[in-house]
Amino acid sequence: MADAFVLGSRPVYTGTHVTRRQDDALLSGRGAYVADLRRDDMAEIAVVRSTVAHGRIAAIRTAEAAAVAGVIAVITAADLTDVSPYPNFASAYTQTPGTFPLAQDKVRYVGSPVAVVLAENRYIAEDAAELVEVDYEELPAVTSLEDALDPDSPRLFEHWPNNRLLDLQPDDSEAAAILAGNRVLRRRYKMGRHTAMPMETRACMAEVRDGRLHLWCTNQHAHIARTTLSYVLPMAERDIRVVIPYVGGGFGLKQHLYPEDVVASWLALRHGRPVRFVEDRAEHMIAAAHARDHMVDIEAAIADDGRILAMRVQVVQDLGSAEIFPGAWCPALTTAAHMTGPYDIGHCAVSVAAVATNKTPGGSYRGFGVPEAVFALERFIDEIAAEVGVDRLDLRRSMLLQSEDLPYKTASGALLDSGSFAESFEKVVELGEAAHRRAAAQHGTDQQSRVGVGYAVLFEGVSPTHHGASAHWAGHESCSIEVLPDGGVRVASGVTDQGQGTTTFVATLAADALGVPIETVEVELADSDSTPYGLGAFGSRQAVIGGGALLLAAGEVRDKVKRIAAHMLEATEDDLVIEAGRVHVAGSPEPAVTMAAIATRAVIRTMDLPPGMAPGLEATARYEPELMEHVPDERGRINASASYANAAHAAVIRVDLGTGEIEILDYILAHDCGRVINPPIVDGQIWGGIAQGVGGALYEDLRFNDLGQPQTAFMDYLMPSALEMPEVVIKHFESPSPNTPLGMKGVGEGGTVGPAAAIGNALAHALAEFNPQIRETPLSPAVVRAMIPDRGAAT
Amino acid sequence: MSAPAARRVEPVAEVPISVTVNARAVEAVVPARQLLADFLRDDLRLTGTHVGCEQGICGACTINLDGEPVRSCIMLAAQVDGSSITTVEGLASEGLSPLQQAFKDNHGLQCGFCTPGFLMTLATVDPDEYPGTDGIREAISGNLCRCTGYGGILQAVRTAWNRVEDG
Repeated sequence: MADAFVLGSRPVYTGTHVTRRQDDALLSGRGAYVADLRRDDMAEIAVVRSTVAHGRIAAIRTAEAAAVAGVIAVITAADLTDVSPYPNFASAYTQTPGTFPLAQDKVRYVGSPVAVVLAENRYIAEDAAELVEVDYEELPAVTSLEDALDPDSPRLFEHWPNNRLLDLQPDDSEAAAILAGNRVLRRRYKMGRHTAMPMETRACMAEVRDGRLHLWCTNQHAHIARTTLSYVLPMAERDIRVVIPYVGGGFGLKQHLYPEDVVASWLALRHGRPVRFVEDRAEHMIAAAHARDHMVDIEAAIADDGRILAMRVQVVQDLGSAEIFPGAWCPALTTAAHMTGPYDIGHCAVSVAAVATNKTPGGSYRGFGVPEAVFALERFIDEIAAEVGVDRLDLRRSMLLQSEDLPYKTASGALLDSGSFAESFEKVVELGEAAHRRAAAQHGTDQQSRVGVGYAVLFEGVSPTHHGASAHWAGHESCSIEVLPDGGVRVASGVTDQGQGTTTFVATLAADALGVPIETVEVELADSDSTPYGLGAFGSRQAVIGGGALLLAAGEVRDKVKRIAAHMLEATEDDLVIEAGRVHVAGSPEPAVTMAAIATRAVIRTMDLPPGMAPGLEATARYEPELMEHVPDERGRINASASYANAAHAAVIRVDLGTGEIEILDYILAHDCGRVINPPIVDGQIWGGIAQGVGGALYEDLRFNDLGQPQTAFMDYLMPSALEMPEVVIKHFESPSPNTPLGMKGVGEGGTVGPAAAIGNALAHALAEFNPQIRETPLSPAVVRAMIPDRGAAT
Repeated sequence: MSAPAARRVEPVAEVPISVTVNARAVEAVVPARQLLADFLRDDLRLTGTHVGCEQGICGACTINLDGEPVRSCIMLAAQVDGSSITTVEGLASEGLSPLQQAFKDNHGLQCGFCTPGFLMTLATVDPDEYPGTDGIREAISGNLCRCTGYGGILQAVRTAWNRVEDG
């Protein structure tokens, strides 16, 4: 990468465990999340939600609710006369749901917001919400993606020709020709519906001060949220401030600007009082974005030795009602972009459909289409190996990209410029086989259980464009750095922190890039009034893109520091080093000038600056990776990410033949995210990612009945506890990207995308004697038990 | 299909309570239906107690009531009359307790939302009753964390309990 992206002359923090700046506050209960904010005159809202999955709204009666003491207002869509629907910037290739903050005319999922009660507090608001009566004329519900694909299924949106929001059929003639002349294997894989389930639900508080709207909310993007509000309310963007305080986990779910954010803002503007919404968990189960719910059909031409010669794939994503912004079809596109995995598969044509059903809108969730691709492809490879009679590891070896193959452009257009695909795979195989031998020795005589080991090897696009999801924003990030007269540094960036440690990496890189003590760096994030426009948190992008912007800004400041110092020391700039906030000639610590003296000269004693130099010691920079593409070519190929991390997973499991329960005995992951900034934070991302992947693979399941009624309460939504989560062995590989700042690649999702595939393959290995068909998640005990002959009938 | 038949909201009764919170005596008159978590958070402004589910499942709202860990989201404020409560704000008189420090040193938290619940559960646990890492897993199994995968938390507790890693 160009020399623009460098740390200072003596980096001391990058690559070490810098403890996190927020932890003292968070550990002592002083971290203020949105639900902890209050104003003396604050009012609260409760939302009346649809109780039917699909229906016309015949009548809404609010008078009784409005009469309750303490109720300030009860509103429906009819009151929002000055509000615009959420925009759709992708109308060239998608249908438009025309999402409005409150249901107009129709409801399309249980949980859809229909009316809102504003009251003195949430207790009163909830009481009154129960008094709002809504009459529905119920319509038949579409509750599965198979039903939605049926052209005769009831339509959710009358102005669409069918229920397909997105239907892309690229030219597959090349792949078809290869399929026609070879042995073809076909399989269908499905990943169930689950969700991020952050421990903090959604929340917002809107307050009007001096005519401007201030919205504190649990969103992942201060600026995208501000812009979206300006479109929907609609309102001048300069009159809106969005602040994201402490957030209790986002994981993609909080990327969307939800109806309650709009309605709370509207009510605050209309009534002149601060308005707070704090979602309860029961609401969260039906009204916050769900995810996954994909079907992947693979047809592949297979060589005699099992190698995949060409693939034709159909990805279908169940969007739920699709009433969400930004739109939720992008995971299906991301699945398509990852269908070849890190294998040399020269031909892969993927068609993509995203369909609307009468379920909670799907949205973003860590992994974002990649777990679906990895589960399908890695299971498929194990199935090929069994079908053809070759070793599943050797089959992978015969197709895996080797370092000499790089850079490599996948059939989907992803530019893999670096990576350790084969090396990371061999490492987990070595450790996984050893762990399996231990498990077999320990449990081999147990007739009631079986042990098995499974593998998954993958790449994942990280730091992607936003364009795939929004068809509007692209992929840049921003950073402003200012050195104050006392030498302290203020860094403001468009990135945001939902607990990942963003604040700490910003401080770390800034301190090293400027050569100052980290204690002197103040970090300002996630306030749209005080940070430059940026895109915030999604797609494991913040270290790469936010870091890039930071290094560019720091480079400008550092150059000026050196110019001023050279003038003060009567030395040459190139001979100077900056460390610990002091500038001196390399090799001779004295004489030195301090950052304070330099900054004082730059902004106060400007008459002492070198002749012709402008005052000030600050810079704002924006970074958008050159190689990131935003729009696919005519064949659907796109290099949608600035970088690609890779990982290999191994799961060793024990299956109870009586109960069908899977116990994870060992979990091993080799991960490569290029240059590591903070090792414990990277490990924490991986552990947490695996836990969410394990949850989706084994336990978490959002079910609906034929009427579209949600069947999963929080109590039944089985997230892994410490008892289910195994110890994880993590092995790091560092293959710096030549195309990213410092060679960094994102780390947020590599743990999440592999467990379904690795565990699925381990289950196939463990139950090989029964030839089980493992093509869907979650692999719940009931599902597994049904794979076991003579025991499947037991209940 | 229509919403349930309308009914009038009944006036709520109020209950006087006398309770010790973080070693401070508190006298209050609370609505009979007010949740303990809301009393702590809204009335006493002790917002370190977080409400994650309002169903007693996730453990984020765990506090100590007369030395026992309880879910403040499924208890009424009226029930704590005469009791002594400790919240996360009362764990250390200044700075961080050894357990809190171990969480910091071992990256035992990410978003921090569930963290007070873990701390309050662990504050009541006798380590001798929960041997090994499996014991720690058992001790914290009633608290859900969505960020860490528990790795950092287990390491933090092993450190705080001077327990050699046996995982």
